[in-house]
Amino acid sequence: MVLARRKVVYMLLIAALVLFLSPFGWLVITAFKAQSELRAVPIHWWPHHPTLDNFQQALTLFDYLGYARNSLTIAGLYSVLITLASAWAGYGFARLNGPGKKLVFGLMLSTMMTPQIITLIPTYLLFAKADLVNTYIPWVLWGLAGAPYLIFLFRQFFTNMPKELEEAAIIDGCGQIRIFWRIFLPQSWPVIATSLILSFSWSWGDYIAPALLLDDDRTTLSVKIATGYVNEHGTGLYTLIAAGSVMYIVPVLALFLILQRGFITSSATSGLK
Amino acid sequence: MSTDQLTGPDAEPTAPSPARPAGGRPGSRRAPRPHSLRARRAGAFYLFTGPWVLGFLGLTAYPLGYALWLSFTNSDGLSPNARFVGLANYREVFSDPDTLASLARTGLFAAITVPLTIVAGLILALLLNQPIRARGLFRTLLYLPAVVPPVGAALTFKLIFDRDSGSANGLLDLFGVNGLAWLGDPYARYVLIMLTVWGVGNIMIISLAGLQDIPRELLDAARVDGASQWQSLTRIILPLLSPVLFFQLVTQLIMTLQTFVPLLISLDPTPKGVGAVPESNYLIMIDVFSQYFANGRYGYASALLWVLFLFIMLVTFVVFRLSKGAVFYSVDPEQAKPKTRTIGDK
Repeated sequence: MVLARRKVVYMLLIAALVLFLSPFGWLVITAFKAQSELRAVPIHWWPHHPTLDNFQQALTLFDYLGYARNSLTIAGLYSVLITLASAWAGYGFARLNGPGKKLVFGLMLSTMMTPQIITLIPTYLLFAKADLVNTYIPWVLWGLAGAPYLIFLFRQFFTNMPKELEEAAIIDGCGQIRIFWRIFLPQSWPVIATSLILSFSWSWGDYIAPALLLDDDRTTLSVKIATGYVNEHGTGLYTLIAAGSVMYIVPVLALFLILQRGFITSSATSGLK
Repeated sequence: MSTDQLTGPDAEPTAPSPARPAGGRPGSRRAPRPHSLRARRAGAFYLFTGPWVLGFLGLTAYPLGYALWLSFTNSDGLSPNARFVGLANYREVFSDPDTLASLARTGLFAAITVPLTIVAGLILALLLNQPIRARGLFRTLLYLPAVVPPVGAALTFKLIFDRDSGSANGLLDLFGVNGLAWLGDPYARYVLIMLTVWGVGNIMIISLAGLQDIPRELLDAARVDGASQWQSLTRIILPLLSPVLFFQLVTQLIMTLQTFVPLLISLDPTPKGVGAVPESNYLIMIDVFSQYFANGRYGYASALLWVLFLFIMLVTFVVFRLSKGAVFYSVDPEQAKPKTRTIGDK
C-alpha cells in the first residue's frame, strides 16, 4: 500500500520533470540544427547534421561578448551597490532607534508590495528629462536606494545578533558606522551572498529597464538577444536565437546549480518569514 | 492599514516628517547636553535609513506623483505646452472599448493563472514533501525553469510554438493534427499561460518550506486518530499553510496584473513594437506601453497607469480583508501576533 503510493509519487514527479525540462531540450536541439533543417517536414526531432555554426554566428552577428560585458557591468555595479545599501538600511532598522521608526519601517514593508513595472515607466520619463538616458547612472541610483526585500533580509539577520557585540564596541568608543562596517557587515556574509546572487540575477535577466533606458549599442544582452537575431527582412533567425539563448541562460543555470542552497533558501524565506 | 501610504504622492506629506527630527530637533530636547545620547541615536537611525527614504521619495513617490500630474494633462512628452484637461483622460479610460477590453482580458488572465500557479505549486510541493529518494534532485530540477531570465524563457517558448519549426506542431503532426499558429490569435493566450506555469518553481519552494514547518506530531496524531490522507490535507495541512498561500495570492496577483511578457513572445519584442502583440495577449500593460511609446499619449497613458495602480492597491486591500477570517495564522500564540501584524501592515 505504502509502496504503491510511493510509486505513484515517483511517477507524477517524473512526469512533471519531463514536462518542465523538455523546453530546455528543444532549445538545445534547435541550437545544434543547421539552418536548412530547421523547417524540415516532417520535423527533425534530432539534428541530422549537428553543427556548432549557430554558436559561432550567434557570437559574431552582433558583438555578443560586448553586450555580455554591458550586462555584467550593470549587474555588477547594481548588485554590489544594492547589497551594501540594503545592509546599511537593514542595520538601521535592526539596531538603531529614532522617532518615526515604526512609520518608516511600515512604509518600507509596504513598498515591497508596490507594483514595480508601474513605477518604472514614470521613473524612466523623469530619467529622460534629467538626461540620464543611455547612461548607467539610473542603476547606480537604484542600487544606492536599496531594495525593501533585501533590507528586510539584512534586518532579520542583524536583529538576531547578540547585543554584547555592539555594547563592547561602544565602550571601546566605536561609532555606529564603524560598528556596522567592522562588526556587523563581516558577520553577515550569508545574507551578503544571497543578496548579491539575487540582485545580480534580477539585473542580468531584466529586460524592460535597459530596453527603455539604453540605446542599441549600450544595451544589455537581454535586450539584444531578444531583438538582434533577425535577417535583413526582419524575420527571426531561429537557430541563432536558440544558440544565443543557450549561451545566455547557461551561466545563470550554472550559477544556480553551484549556489542552489542559497537561492532556494532565500526564495523560501521570502514567504512570510 | 497602511495601504493608503502606498498611493504615492499622497504619502509625500507624511513621509518627510519622520526625516525632520534627524537634522532639526537634536538641540530642542530637554537634555542638559546639546548632543544627548537619544538625539545622537536618532541621528544615527536616520543616517542609516535616510538613503532608503530618499530613494523611496525620489524613485517611487515622486515618479508616481509625476505620472499623476501627467494624467490630468494632454501631454505628449515632447511639446512643452501640455494643457490641463481635468478628468478627461480618466473618463476616456472608462469609456474606450479597447482599454476596457484589455482590462477585462487582464482580469481573466489573472483569474486563470493565479489559481493555476498556486495550485500547481502546492501539488508539486506536496509531492516533494513525501518520503522519497532524490528529493533534492527533483526539487532542484523542477525549480530550474524559474531561474531562467524572462527573455530566455520567452525565446524558448517562441521556438517551441513556432508554426513551422516548433516542437508543439511537430507533436500535433505525429497525431495527424494540422499545425496551429500558436503565436497568433487565439492560441497565443494559451502559450502565455503555459509560459507562466513553467516558472512555478518559486511558488513550489515557498509552499514546500511552509509544509516543512508543519509539526510532524500533528500529522502523526491525526493518523493515530484515524484521519484519512484527505482529511489531514484539508483539516490540518491547508489551514496551517493558509498564510503562505495567501501571501502567494497577493504577490502573484500584483505580478500578473503587470505582465508584459506578451511583448517578449511577440514578433517585435521592443517597447515600441507593441503593435506586434496578438490581440488575445493584449494585456493592460501592453496597452500602457503602446499609449506611451507607440502613440506618444503620455497624459492618457499615465491615467491608465494610475488606474492600474489603484486597482492593484484595491485588489490587495480586498484580498487582505477577505483573508481575515480564512487565514489561519499560527498554532503558537506567541508567534501568532507578530505574524498577523506583518501581514496586516503590508
